[in-house]
Amino acid sequence: MKYAPPFQRTNGFLPVLIVFVILLLAPFVVTETYSRHTLIIVFIYAVLASNWDLSLGYGGIVNFAHLGFFAIGLYTYAIFAKVIGIDPWLALLLTPLFAVGFAILLAIPILRLEGIYVILVTIAATQLLQQIVVSQSTYTGGTSGMVLLPRLTIGDYNLSSDNRIGYYYVALGLMAASTFFLYKLERSAVGRAIKALRDNKYYAISRGVSEARTRLLTLSLSAIFPALAGGFYGSYLRVASPDVFGLGFLTTALSVLLLGGVATIWGSLIAAFVVVGLSQLLADYGAWRNISIALVIIGVVVVYPGGLYAALQEIWSGFDRAKTNLIAAFRRKAGAADRARAMGIRDQLIETSHGKVSVCDTRSGEQTIIFIHGNSSCKEAFRHQFHALRDQYRLVAFDLPGHGVSPNADPEKDYNLAAYAQIVRDLVDRLKLGTPVVFGWSLGGYVALEYAAAGNPISALAICGTSPVRTYPDDIPKGYIASPHMELAGKRFHSPFEKGQYAKHTIGLPKQSEPILWQAVWRTDGQAREQAFAKLKTTNWQRQMRVIREGSVPFTMINGSKDPFINHTYCASPEFNTAASGKPITLDGVGHATFLEGPEGFNAVFRRFIQQQ
Amino acid sequence: MGFEAFTFILMSGILLGGLYALMATGLAVVWTTLGVFNFAHGAFVTLGAYMAWQVSQSVAGGFGFLIAVATSVTVMFCLGFVLHFALIKPFERNQNVVLLAVVSTLAAASIIENAVLLNWGPRDKQIAPPITSKIDFFGASINTFDFVILGIALFALFGLALFLRRTTVGRTLRAAAQNREAAELMGLNVPKLFAITLGLSAATAALAGVFVGSLRFINPTFGADPLMKSLIVVILGGVARFTSPIYAAFVVGIVESFSAYFLGLYWSPALLFAMMIAVLLIKPEGLFGHRSKTL
Repeated sequence: MKYAPPFQRTNGFLPVLIVFVILLLAPFVVTETYSRHTLIIVFIYAVLASNWDLSLGYGGIVNFAHLGFFAIGLYTYAIFAKVIGIDPWLALLLTPLFAVGFAILLAIPILRLEGIYVILVTIAATQLLQQIVVSQSTYTGGTSGMVLLPRLTIGDYNLSSDNRIGYYYVALGLMAASTFFLYKLERSAVGRAIKALRDNKYYAISRGVSEARTRLLTLSLSAIFPALAGGFYGSYLRVASPDVFGLGFLTTALSVLLLGGVATIWGSLIAAFVVVGLSQLLADYGAWRNISIALVIIGVVVVYPGGLYAALQEIWSGFDRAKTNLIAAFRRKAGAADRARAMGIRDQLIETSHGKVSVCDTRSGEQTIIFIHGNSSCKEAFRHQFHALRDQYRLVAFDLPGHGVSPNADPEKDYNLAAYAQIVRDLVDRLKLGTPVVFGWSLGGYVALEYAAAGNPISALAICGTSPVRTYPDDIPKGYIASPHMELAGKRFHSPFEKGQYAKHTIGLPKQSEPILWQAVWRTDGQAREQAFAKLKTTNWQRQMRVIREGSVPFTMINGSKDPFINHTYCASPEFNTAASGKPITLDGVGHATFLEGPEGFNAVFRRFIQQQ
Repeated sequence: MGFEAFTFILMSGILLGGLYALMATGLAVVWTTLGVFNFAHGAFVTLGAYMAWQVSQSVAGGFGFLIAVATSVTVMFCLGFVLHFALIKPFERNQNVVLLAVVSTLAAASIIENAVLLNWGPRDKQIAPPITSKIDFFGASINTFDFVILGIALFALFGLALFLRRTTVGRTLRAAAQNREAAELMGLNVPKLFAITLGLSAATAALAGVFVGSLRFINPTFGADPLMKSLIVVILGGVARFTSPIYAAFVVGIVESFSAYFLGLYWSPALLFAMMIAVLLIKPEGLFGHRSKTL
């Protein structure tokens, strides 16, 4: 199931809105013709490149005939508006028709070919198109092209008057419409089919995605807006010449696309401003301009193949990490008293092989119980247990790196199940915890399983809100109920709305009663979420299953009946419920965080489980 | 059409074919070895021609032409060698290597073209041919120099083939092309071999450029046509064998000169592109070979 929130609830909404409003108001500040002209050209290239991204980035079809759509739009407009003499607006609206026709013709050879051959056949198709245009000089003006094409007008008002303000808004509208179209398309069933075909062709086909139809759609849909842009370009510059087939246009559009980053609509839009802006800035330098642009392109593809969008994300991610780390450092001191009140004991920072972690340890008691919290949470989730069980047992809970008040750690090394399990082991050694009972919640459940599977000292194992996995990733959709919020668990950047949704579904209690846990969702290092999920595929799941099947470690599952994620039928399968462990315990009326929502019932069950051993 | 005209058109087609063979082989060698298409190949042709023009300006006479050829070919070999490390090597391990190499070589072509424009200006130039006599060939009067060019081109290709088959460097190069991992395991310096390949390709491009420059006028953007023709040749012929693009080059050359005569200048490229698309549809591996990627 794909998580696709409405646009106004994503992180991108605010920046896009701000930029759009700035562009909407820009003509009142930018009044001279040349700057407005530059912006109009920027919008045209943004449309060209972002639509190219549909076939090249999302569809994986390296279509070098994309500029052909633009050229067809240009010449369709020129011929209909000038030679035939119909209304310019009507001529503009006719342009996509012919471009889509060309796209359909193009799809026929492309369907049979792959890789470099697609590049070659599309280059050949463009050349063929150019030769046809040049040879039909009666209609197209041949090599010298056509000049004095009709302008767009509204009534008697010429869009070019008042320093081209009319053209500016038409171009902006075209870019906005194209972006809206691409955004919606990417999230639609067709968009998902396009991406599926690129990522795993045979799997997509086996799941019912028609290759022929999808590729045809990809090319046709990517032709519509470039054709409109071409027609608009003709009406704006009033010239249609075979130059549009030249390497200049192709190189500029391609550099916008690659500089922005493939498979991102926004990247192309940003890069259009950079590339076209740079190229207009250097307009007086002639050949040096082309050389410097080419050098920038080589520099970007060599040093940063992900493009500007990836660079922006990297910067944002760095900023986010610094911010979350700062919040953690601040709360370590400022919130210490609140946390001590919640847990009944102060926490301390302990050095482990995977960075420092914040630990609560009641220090007294024969048998130790270690609590491991879940994704984007913190050790204070277990506050009820710390109050109820500390007379009988020694209780230890800690914040995973990048969570709670533990500092952030190295995303590559420290944010994965094996690292988390190693932290538990380090704590067992340093605090001399003997052979502990390990309790894991959600992602912590996998940490607990991993800890046991690695052969570490353990006397009993309980998991909550976790479905054991036999094979990854096949068992994930079986063990969990497909829900949009599952996608959030591995997502690096959450918008405020998404954070709220995630907190609501995992914590199950309102913000007023669980402020520390809600804060923890905001504090969590996004990289920790992303990395922990991305690295699930490197986990040795068979080893974890062996622990459950062999029954060498007493094991139980305690789930809430209202857990929004867990598939109870899957958890009840006999494979996970050996004679030793019995059926999974289901607590009525509580959700994902059973121990937090219904502490009395949970504590009774949990105490019984430990005493049985 | 008389026999004389026929011979003339055929001979000009064969001459064109020889030049195309030289250019296309350079392109094909890079494609089969490095696995990328070098879109700066046309710019290599241009730069090679301009360098030869520069040298032949300062050293006059037939001897000067030879020095011009030697300088141009040597410099272009070195340039190709160096450019491999800037344009292709950085993306070797990237799964999008084909696309990224297209972009980087297109950018390189733009740099070379504009550098040529800056250095030599936009005006047409011609390298003075060292031999200007004509000979009678089955009734048609044909430049002696055309035969010399054809001879040198074929000789150069023969030399390249011998180099690839008989010398140690040529064989290791083919080994690296056939199985990169195995070649690396055997201790071959694959990046260096790949750089040599690009150097050889640039050298053949330069040689072709010198010949084109002494037959026609050159200007900073004239490399686009040789690039397109080489693409057509490589696709038509395929790259199954070293000789596949060479045969195709002669087919293209002859078709081009006859279609230019019968259909006119504008339609002959269109015919070639249509041929290319047809071949891609019916026999994507090329007319002269089966689908494989070896030298």
